[in-house]
Amino acid sequence: MNWFINGVKNRIKTQGLEDYTVEQPSFLQGTSNYECPTNALENGRWIMNKCIFCRECDLTATGKQNTFTVNSEIQDMFKKSLYLYPIDSGTCGACNVEFTTLFSPQYDTNRFKIFMSNTPRHADALVVMGVYTRGMEKILKEAYEAMPAPKVVIGIGACALSGGIIGTSAMEKYDIEVAGCPPTPASIIKAIIKARGVK
Amino acid sequence: MQYYNFGERSGRYIGRSQKYDIYASSITKITEIPDEFEIKNSGEIYFNYGPSAGGLRESVNFKLLTPGESIRDVVINPEYKQRDIKILGDDVARALLKVERINGFHGASNSIAYILAVEDALNIENSELNKMRIVELELERIRSNIDVIKGLCESAGFAVPEKQLLYLREEVARIISRAFSHRYYFSANGIGSIRGDFSTIKLNGIEKKFRDIYDGLLSSKIFLDRIQENGIVKNEQSTGPAARAAGFKFDARKDSKSLDYGHFIPITETGGDSFSRFVVRAEEIFASISIIDSYNIKNAETGKKKDASGSGEGTARIESPAGDIFYYVNIENGKLMDIQTVSPTYLNLRLFRQALKNNNIFTDFFFVWESFGIWISELEVNFI
Repeated sequence: MNWFINGVKNRIKTQGLEDYTVEQPSFLQGTSNYECPTNALENGRWIMNKCIFCRECDLTATGKQNTFTVNSEIQDMFKKSLYLYPIDSGTCGACNVEFTTLFSPQYDTNRFKIFMSNTPRHADALVVMGVYTRGMEKILKEAYEAMPAPKVVIGIGACALSGGIIGTSAMEKYDIEVAGCPPTPASIIKAIIKARGVK
Repeated sequence: MQYYNFGERSGRYIGRSQKYDIYASSITKITEIPDEFEIKNSGEIYFNYGPSAGGLRESVNFKLLTPGESIRDVVINPEYKQRDIKILGDDVARALLKVERINGFHGASNSIAYILAVEDALNIENSELNKMRIVELELERIRSNIDVIKGLCESAGFAVPEKQLLYLREEVARIISRAFSHRYYFSANGIGSIRGDFSTIKLNGIEKKFRDIYDGLLSSKIFLDRIQENGIVKNEQSTGPAARAAGFKFDARKDSKSLDYGHFIPITETGGDSFSRFVVRAEEIFASISIIDSYNIKNAETGKKKDASGSGEGTARIESPAGDIFYYVNIENGKLMDIQTVSPTYLNLRLFRQALKNNNIFTDFFFVWESFGIWISELEVNFI
């Protein structure tokens, strides 16, 4: 088997970020009086970062993969390339899998000049997943400190942002917050693109 | 509690929950057998890897005892990401939201095992959902096995089949999402009910594409050289594909009554090495597709959520993609008073250590690790 030729013959077309939508998780609209177990409804209004998208309330899924908030635009220097270092603070594994899906042929995140780093020393952005755990508190801090400045912190998933239904959030502040349980690859990519201010 | 009782050992060893040792049909007190580690000799070092490092998807630490190239022993610390999950006293239906997040990648296995235990405790009739639950589990197995084989390709630096398998994994995720409105089955299952549209599940394309990749890998001498005779382990205290790859016909689809598969024959190999685990995982993809196709569920009645306000004790054991998953629940007036789980990671981590000690060198590490398909998340939970 010549895998190079096989790869060329069986080439896969990378898709646009709007080509595939899912119902859950996606941006929700409306109001609801449901007694939400994660307090994602305050006076009937939706709080995205706390939502685990359990489909028990009356909010309606729009299918739009834009469940993110950009708290601070990231440095111009990252517009040419951005290296991500993922760290698992205390996940169920779903966010980890969605993160690796960023590099699948369907999404091919490299085309947006977004790459994965194997060490925080070479990373521009720390991608935090999962709830706070005692064991990972020090590791998380060390990873952040090991990164060269300027640096970005991206929180993905309800656990990292608010603790979700499992615990408490892994960090207090993020530059980019991507909600979802877990968030879709499209939401994660769109959040980074928006924060970079480039198309 | 129809299928289990507290007492003496009965049947094969399934693993350890937070409070008990679990066998095929009994729950016993824990019998502590301390791990014995190799003594560090002069000139040897402990090579530290993890808990957070490139190549590791989850947080876990390994201390590899080595004189330079060979691995003599490994000390594994999976506790870094231990999560305290406040679940005791919860309403049983609401507790499900936490249970399905014990291992998100195997969300169907965990939620269905928990629900079956609850239904056992509360004597809720569930036979009409039997086939639909099996379809969910088999679909999850297909995705999980694709992921394990993708990991082996990644370890071998085979970027083309790795990306092709990553593509297939995502395609299966989309099939799951179309059918159950969630890529990880979250909130798809309830006590006595399922939210899903089974008519959308079509796997013809997946089967053909996977067959091409599998045939290609089987004809690749470089790939086979990396995984044959590597990470050999044959131990009666094993579970899932790792057990079946060593010739043991251990499979909850055959020997557990919680979910009726009818006449089921486990797929086995005899080598006990990474190659055998790869073959078992691959062949089980075809077997799972065959099961789903044979059921051919179109317009299923997926039931309505049942009242779960009673009391009782219940158990369930099913076959997750990595091996046996066991749940015990004790319910009082609809509240969860105790929950005990056994994940396949408990035995698989032990097997991984035995396999790695068995005449392997550093470059074998990732092949052995990936071949077990271990998820730390489902082991490191502390129910409070």
